[in-house]
Amino acid sequence: MSVAEHLASQQLVVVTGKGGVGKTTLAAVLGRLLAAVGRRVLLLEVDPRESLHQLLGVPPSGGETIEAGPRLWLQNLQPRAVIEGLVREKVPVPMIAKKIIGSPVFQHFVDGAPGLREMAVLGYALRAVRGEYRRKVDMVVLDAPATGHGASMLSAPMLLAEAIGGGQIGAMAADLAGFIADPSRCGVVLGALAEEMPVQEAIELIALLNDRMSRPPEVVIVNALHPPLPPAKARPPAGLAPAVALWSRRREANERELQRLRSCWKGPLVRLPLLPLDPGPALLAGLQDRLRAELDRLGAGS
Amino acid sequence: MSRELLAQPLLLVVGSGGVGKTTLAAAMGLHAAREGARTLVMTFDPSLRLKDALGVGEAARDRAVRVDVDTPGRLDVALLDARTTFDRLVRRYAPDEAAAERIFRNRFYDDLAGNLAGILEYMAVERLFEVAVEGKYDRVILDTPPTRQALEFLEAPDRIVGFLDSGALRIALKPWFDRKGGLRGLPMRLVGKGIEGMLDRIVGMRLLRDMAEFFQAFAPLFDGFRARASEVRALLRAPGTLFVLVSGPGEERIPDTLFFARKLTEAGHRLGPIVVNQSHPVLPPAAASATGPFAEGLHLLAYLGERDRRGYDRLRGLLSGGEALVTVPLQPTPPTDLASLEALGRLLADRLRAFAA
Repeated sequence: MSVAEHLASQQLVVVTGKGGVGKTTLAAVLGRLLAAVGRRVLLLEVDPRESLHQLLGVPPSGGETIEAGPRLWLQNLQPRAVIEGLVREKVPVPMIAKKIIGSPVFQHFVDGAPGLREMAVLGYALRAVRGEYRRKVDMVVLDAPATGHGASMLSAPMLLAEAIGGGQIGAMAADLAGFIADPSRCGVVLGALAEEMPVQEAIELIALLNDRMSRPPEVVIVNALHPPLPPAKARPPAGLAPAVALWSRRREANERELQRLRSCWKGPLVRLPLLPLDPGPALLAGLQDRLRAELDRLGAGS
Repeated sequence: MSRELLAQPLLLVVGSGGVGKTTLAAAMGLHAAREGARTLVMTFDPSLRLKDALGVGEAARDRAVRVDVDTPGRLDVALLDARTTFDRLVRRYAPDEAAAERIFRNRFYDDLAGNLAGILEYMAVERLFEVAVEGKYDRVILDTPPTRQALEFLEAPDRIVGFLDSGALRIALKPWFDRKGGLRGLPMRLVGKGIEGMLDRIVGMRLLRDMAEFFQAFAPLFDGFRARASEVRALLRAPGTLFVLVSGPGEERIPDTLFFARKLTEAGHRLGPIVVNQSHPVLPPAAASATGPFAEGLHLLAYLGERDRRGYDRLRGLLSGGEALVTVPLQPTPPTDLASLEALGRLLADRLRAFAA
C-alpha cells in the first residue's frame, strides 16, 4: 500500500510539528488531497485565532462545521466548549449542568488538569469518525496546536491512562491511547522546516513516537524548501548577485538540515517547495499537486 | 534614545514560536555586555549551535554560567527548566526536609506536576524574580517559553493565585482518606465500600489518593507561594520592566503581532519596541522578471521581499502610534558565533536609534 493509500485508509490523521513550520497549511493541503481521492474529511483546528478558513477561502467556522469543498468540512474547536458539552451530556438536568460549568472549581479544573484539553479534542475527533455527530465523515485531519512539545497532544492519553490507571476517565484515556498507538486507524504526519531548530524538534519527536509510543510517523513533510541552485558556472543577472547569494545560503542550509534529518529518519519523507504565493486556495492547489506527486513517488518506491 | 529604550533592568522578549526570539535575546545580551552592563540572559530552549556559540552546557541549568567574551560588562546565561525550578521552590517553602521529600516522592507530582497548565510559564517568571531580587545584574533579558500562547506565562501568577484561592483547594485539602487509604467518615462499611467502588469506577481511587496526598504535602507551601505570586505579578508591571515584541515577517504574521501588542497593553505591561525579524530584502524590479536558470529563485526572493515590505507597511498602519517598529533583515546564515551575534545586537540597537531619530 502506498503512503497516500495508507493515509486515506485511516480515521484520524494528526498533523504535528513545531510552531511556524506551516502545520495549518499542511493540514489544509492534506485535507483537500484526501477529499479529492473520495474520503469525507473533517478538518479540525484548535487554535482560537482561526486561520484555516482563510487558506481555504471560506468564512470562519466560529465553532460550527462549515463546508470547505467537495467532501471537505472545517471546524474550529474550543477544548473548553467540548468539555462543557460533555458535562451537559452526562448530567441530564440542565440546571445542575449549568451550575457545575459555572463553578470556579470546574473552571480551574478545566484550565489546570493536565492532558484534559488534549483528551477532549482527540475524543471529539474519535466520536466524529464513529458517526456520533450529525455530520457523517470518514476521517478527521487534526491541525494539532503548536506547543513547546509537539508530542503533548499525542502522548496526553497515554500519560493520563498511566497516571489514572482505572475508572471511567482512565478507561477513556486508555481507549484513546490505544487508538493513537494503532497505525491502521490513526496516522501522524510530522511537519518540519529544513532549518536547525525545526529539524532538531522533528528528530526529538520522531524518537519520542518511536521509543515511548512505538509508532513512527507515517510521513515527515519538509515544507518551504528554497529551489535548487543553477549550475555553478551560470552567471547571475546584473545587480542581483546579493539576492542569489542569499538564495544559495538558504538552499545550502536547507540541504544540510535535510541531510541531518535523513540520518535519523529513514522512513517516508516528502519535500515541498516554498512557493511565491500568498496564503489561500491558490497556494493550497499548488502544494496539493506537489504533495500528491511526492506521495505517489513514495508509493512506487516502497 | 535607543540606549534608554533597551537599557532597562528587565527586558522580556515575547512573540510566537519560530520567530527568532532566542537568537535576538542572546544578541541583545552580548551588545549590552559590550556597552558595559552586567547582563544575564535567561532562555528556555536554545539550539545546539547557539549553546555552542555561547559556550554554555548543561551546567547552566542549575546556575548562571559566564560567557567567555571580553567585554566591559559581563554576560551570563541561564537555561530555564521548569522541573528544576519547581523542585527548588518546594525546597525553599517546605517546612522541613521530610516535607519536601514527601512531595518529591509523590507520584502525582512526578508524573503530572510538570505538565500542569502554566507551571513552565510560572517557573520562568519565578526565576526572573529570584534574579531581580538578588540585584547582581544591571540588565536581565528573559527569552520567553516557546508556545504560541506565549502570553500565558504573564497570566501564570494570576492563575496560580486564583487556583490557590478557589474552592478546589479547600476540597482537595479536606482529610478525605484514612490511614489505610480508605475514604474517611463513611457511615457503614457496606455503604462506604459502595461509594468507594463508584469513585473508583469513575476516576480511580489511586489517582484520588495520590492527588489528596500531593495537596496535603503541598499545603504548608501555599502561603509562601501566594505571596510570591503577587510579587512576581508586580514585577512584571514595574516601571523598569520592558517587553520587546518579536514578530515574523510577512502579512500573515500581523494578526499574531497585533494580538500580542494589544494583550500586553491591556494587561498593564510596558510595550517596548516591536521587532520584525528575518525580513527579506526588497529586490530591484529585474528580479521579478528574470528568466533563465535563476528565474525560479529570484522570483521567489522578489515575492518574499515584497511580501515582507507589505507586511511592515500594514503593521505600521495598524499600530496606534508611539510604538517603535523596526525590521531586522534575514541573515544569510543564522548567527552561530559570538562575533555575528554581537553584530546582530549592534544592528538592532542602531535601527532603534535610527527610528528614534
